[in-house]
Order: sequence, then C-alpha cells, then structure tokens
Amino acid sequence: MQPGPAPIPALERVQHVVAVASGKGGVGKSTVAANLALAMHMHGQRVGLMDADIYGPSIPMMMGLGPVDPQIASFPIDKFGLKLMSLGFLPDAGKGVLLRGPMVAKWVATFLTQINWGELDFLVIDLPPGTGDAQLTLCQTARLTGAVIVTTPQDVSLLDAVKALNMFRQLRTPVLGVIENMSYFVADDGKRYEIFRHGGGKKLATETGVAFLGEIPIDPRVAESGDTGDPIVRRHPDSPVAKSYMALAAAVMGAAAQAGPEALPEVQL
Amino acid sequence: MSAGAELKPLALRREGDGLAIDWSDGARTLISWRTLRKNCPCASCNEERQKPADPFKLLSDREVVAGSPQPVAMSPRGYYAYQITWNDGHNTGIYTLELLRRLSEPRPA
Repeated sequence: MQPGPAPIPALERVQHVVAVASGKGGVGKSTVAANLALAMHMHGQRVGLMDADIYGPSIPMMMGLGPVDPQIASFPIDKFGLKLMSLGFLPDAGKGVLLRGPMVAKWVATFLTQINWGELDFLVIDLPPGTGDAQLTLCQTARLTGAVIVTTPQDVSLLDAVKALNMFRQLRTPVLGVIENMSYFVADDGKRYEIFRHGGGKKLATETGVAFLGEIPIDPRVAESGDTGDPIVRRHPDSPVAKSYMALAAAVMGAAAQAGPEALPEVQL
Repeated sequence: MSAGAELKPLALRREGDGLAIDWSDGARTLISWRTLRKNCPCASCNEERQKPADPFKLLSDREVVAGSPQPVAMSPRGYYAYQITWNDGHNTGIYTLELLRRLSEPRPA
C-alpha cells in the first residue's frame, strides 16, 4: 500500500502529529496543549507545538514570547526545548485578525507545509474551538496520528466535545482519548471541591468508546504560570497539576504508539 | 481508536473510461468519470445542480477543449476522501469514501 495523504516534506521527519481539540472554547485547550508538549519533552521526546488558533493565538504568551521580526527570526522558534509556531509571532498580531474561513485554512496549511519542523517525535497542534476550517484543513493536509479531546466536567462542555469527537470520526481520524481539565480543586485544608462537577470526561469516553487519558485538577498557579510565560509543568514540577500532566503525556505517547492509522492507497491513473 | 473496521478502498485504478475500486469488504466496483464529474460534491457544483437545467448554456472555451471528463490527478485527502483534478481545470471536489461507494456499480468479474 502506498503512503498517503500526500507526503509533506516539512513533516517527513515528524513521527507523530497529535491534535488537541475541543468543541467548546474556554476549556483550557491551549494550556493543556502547552503543558502536554512540555511534559512530553520532559519525558525525553523531541516536540514541536503549532498554534492553529489563528484568531486567538495564545501559545506565544504562555511560552514567554511575543511578536518577532519575520525578516530576522527563523521559524519555528525554539523555547524551553520545544519548536514553536504561531500567528502570534507575527507583528501586528495583537491588533486582532480579521479573516474569512479560507484564509484561516491557508494559514494552517502554511504552518504545516512551509515551516521546517525538522526531526520530531511529536508535533502537538493546538486547535481553535469548534469544527471548522482549521480542523478540516488539518485533517485533510497532515497525516495525523490522532486527536485528543479536551473537556471540562460539566454537561455543557460535553455537548460540544461530542461534536468534535464525531467530526474526527467522520474524517476517519483516530481519537486517542479524552482529557478532563479543571476536574477538581484541592484546598489548603486538603478538602476536595468539584467546582465544575466531576466525571464528565470519563463518562464521555465510556459512552463513545474511546480511552480516558486523564484528569487535570484546578490550581491558580496554572493561570499565573501561563500569564508569566513559564507553564506550570516547568515552573512547579512537583505540583499535583504538573504530575497529572506528566502522567497524561505518558498516556498520550502510549496511545499514539498504538494508533498508527492506515493511509489511503494512491490512485493508479 | 482506529477507523480500521470501517469500509475502505484497497486499490484504485483507471479502467477503461472510469475508476475501478477494490474494497475491503470484497466488493469490486466501477464508476465512470462522467458520473464522478456530474456528481462533484463541491459547493459550486452543488449550487449548479439546484438550478433548473439551462438548454442554452454555453460551454466555456476550456470546457469545449477539454471534451469528455478525464482526471488529471486524484490524491488522498486525509484518511477519508480523494480530491480529483479534472481536465477542465476543476479541482475543488473532495469525494468522501462513502460517496465513492454510493456512486459505484458492481464490476463484472
């Protein structure tokens, strides 16, 4: 059987492409993508992180970076041992981006095909919320190993997470599993609070027949670390959240090793 | 989870004036290029099909030169579809595996 989709030279030496997706916005997808990528790196993997959120790129801030001069800078940008690409690196990104869908698709395709990602074990893609142009372009262009679905525990988030999961299934892209973010909060007195309810991620995984990859607790230091450009897995590696991310990274790496979707055959014309 | 249990093509090739496909469930099918071109799933062709037939429609120069529909290229798109570039230059149709199967007819042994 021939390899396909059409091989992309820029991704030829990338072993696994893993998309981080959610149906709903605000579930902490970019935070999960950034910390997951760093945790994989801390497990000894060579990792890239591509910010496919064209309208609201947040990876640069989370990594302590900002716009650079594209005449001088070389992409992807190296930081904390990761290779990074985001529209937020381009000047004027802070002014907001007014783009129609086809342009979003073009940027995503450009990041995938024109950036020299080099030799990587994992390229993690931080997708925008929803099931639109960025997701479709990614699934049509790159040979994805699979997608992970991020959700928060409550039903409203699960409603949209199912849509994202179904989209990947419709595009025959493997879903590696579900991650529940903001699962619970442990106060200083050791008491556990389930602020956004609990167990929704596991329920979603069971109902849809995919793996449950792990849960990430709430910790105010997650937001603080993101805002100061030094993600929590690096800044507070002994925190329960960082430990959850290390376990999550191991679970995603294991699921990716098992996935290996079969490419479609080339057509003999 | 993998999409391995789903119906998929094992081999696709030009055969006569159409596309022969061998499927994972053992089916061997054929679709004429004309049928594929006529059922192009892109947005503009879908819109065109909604309109009443125009008996006075003039073909563009490119369509006249192209003659009967022939594929110039056909490439996999992700794990779920193929994109066809036609000899009249049209290339926006992405044919899902389900659509290819639906348009297929059994191929004589």
